[in-house]
Amino acid sequence: MDWQAFALTLKLAATTTAILIAVAVPLAGWLVLGHSRWRGAVEAVAALPLVLPPTVLGFFLLVLLGPRTMVGRFIAALLGHPLAFSFSGLVVGSVIYSLPFAVQPLVAGFAAVETAYVDAARLLGAGPVRMVLSLLVPLARRSVLAAAILSFLHTVGEFGVVLMLGGDIPGATRTVSIVLYNQVENFDYTAAAQTSAVLFALSVLALGAIYAARPGGARRG
Amino acid sequence: MLDSVCAPDSCFSFRKPRALFRVFAVMIALAGSTFPSPAQTPLRVAAAADLEPLLPPILEQFQQATGIHAEATFQASAALATQIQNGAPFDLFLSADLGYPKRLIDAGVADAAGTADSTTPIIYGRGTLVLWTRKDSHLPAPSLDLLRGPELKRLAIANPDRAPYGRAAVAALTSLKLYDSLKPRLVTAENIAQAAQFVDSGNADAGLISLTSALTPRLSAAGTYFLIPRELYPPIEQGAVIVSKTSQRPAAHKLLDFLLSSPIQAQLAKAGLTPVK
Repeated sequence: MDWQAFALTLKLAATTTAILIAVAVPLAGWLVLGHSRWRGAVEAVAALPLVLPPTVLGFFLLVLLGPRTMVGRFIAALLGHPLAFSFSGLVVGSVIYSLPFAVQPLVAGFAAVETAYVDAARLLGAGPVRMVLSLLVPLARRSVLAAAILSFLHTVGEFGVVLMLGGDIPGATRTVSIVLYNQVENFDYTAAAQTSAVLFALSVLALGAIYAARPGGARRG
Repeated sequence: MLDSVCAPDSCFSFRKPRALFRVFAVMIALAGSTFPSPAQTPLRVAAAADLEPLLPPILEQFQQATGIHAEATFQASAALATQIQNGAPFDLFLSADLGYPKRLIDAGVADAAGTADSTTPIIYGRGTLVLWTRKDSHLPAPSLDLLRGPELKRLAIANPDRAPYGRAAVAALTSLKLYDSLKPRLVTAENIAQAAQFVDSGNADAGLISLTSALTPRLSAAGTYFLIPRELYPPIEQGAVIVSKTSQRPAAHKLLDFLLSSPIQAQLAKAGLTPVK
């Protein structure tokens, strides 16, 4: 069993989820509360990673983050190494790839909060930051949890982007999904079944623990 | 119900159940629609990814010569072998090695019936391994010395566990006694095309790729290649087999004969596959 790959995958998924929640909560707040005419366009763009085949998305990121573009050269100068074939590269790829899985539940959850509360908060002079943090997030905490869980699981199962952007380096970019794919492609079905079983068991345990401890119990919070 | 939980401006058309119903109706109509399909089933060819640059024009010439329309699916040989073993509807398998076709023959799902030895894949070409770099890279022109030098930070290869060119790359590096020192600097791509993309996008300094890739218009314009001496790696023999349950065996044989004919073999040679004769 490739435990190093498991540890790496968990680290990647946790980092990605933390960044995604930090990015997606303000974004969803702006989409739901804002009045800008660009909201529709922004929401559409935020859903785009769902449309592209992951390997193609990975390829675009490989080119964009590579040393042949301004962006890539800037990042390489900043970090001291190119982003591709590194853990940080995978984090960037995963955040973009899983963005819709964080944004969609948050927008749906925030939008479902009673308009009366939002109007009352606005009348009482709450700014947008306060409205999101003190009103929308607590009232839509189930959606925040759903966004976090979906982002996490989607990153665990991520394959195409990692395949294109990673370069299969043990300890740096070889995630469980790559290990699994290699095992299947090498006709090592027993090993693949074992790896999948461990992955399933860990996921069920983790999800069970989260759902058991979630705010508001089993009913809608 | 939907009305009451939505902020006025956040649910747009879904506020009315009828609008929601309309969206579903469109989805169902799309799902149920049928598109016209060509009257005759084409000859389906499962082809190794390294053939992608050169096979389509050959299939066009084949259609002009015989009237048989052939369609190719390009993937890694390993993936195609798995699919055929599990009943994928292909008629002919053009692998990038001999191992996968042999595996299919042993499993009883493919054969080389009609040839001298029906249990051995038909070799239709030999691959060549090259070291490729971009012309605008800061590195000197590709050579064996480049592999030995410290300025090579990242070398892209195809997956040695299954991609024939990846296997050849590791064999060549091992023959040169460079594998251990280069191992930390290797980036492994899923297949030879992806290894080329790693280098072409500037993310890897150099790559051990196929001559067929290096000779494509795009890569020959962007970079230069060095032929890895043939004695450094076992020959990359590319074999073909007929999928046994095909209903188009005569057509599959015609395409094989066409591939092995002198003019097409000469065309393969120009595109980077050494003729078998």
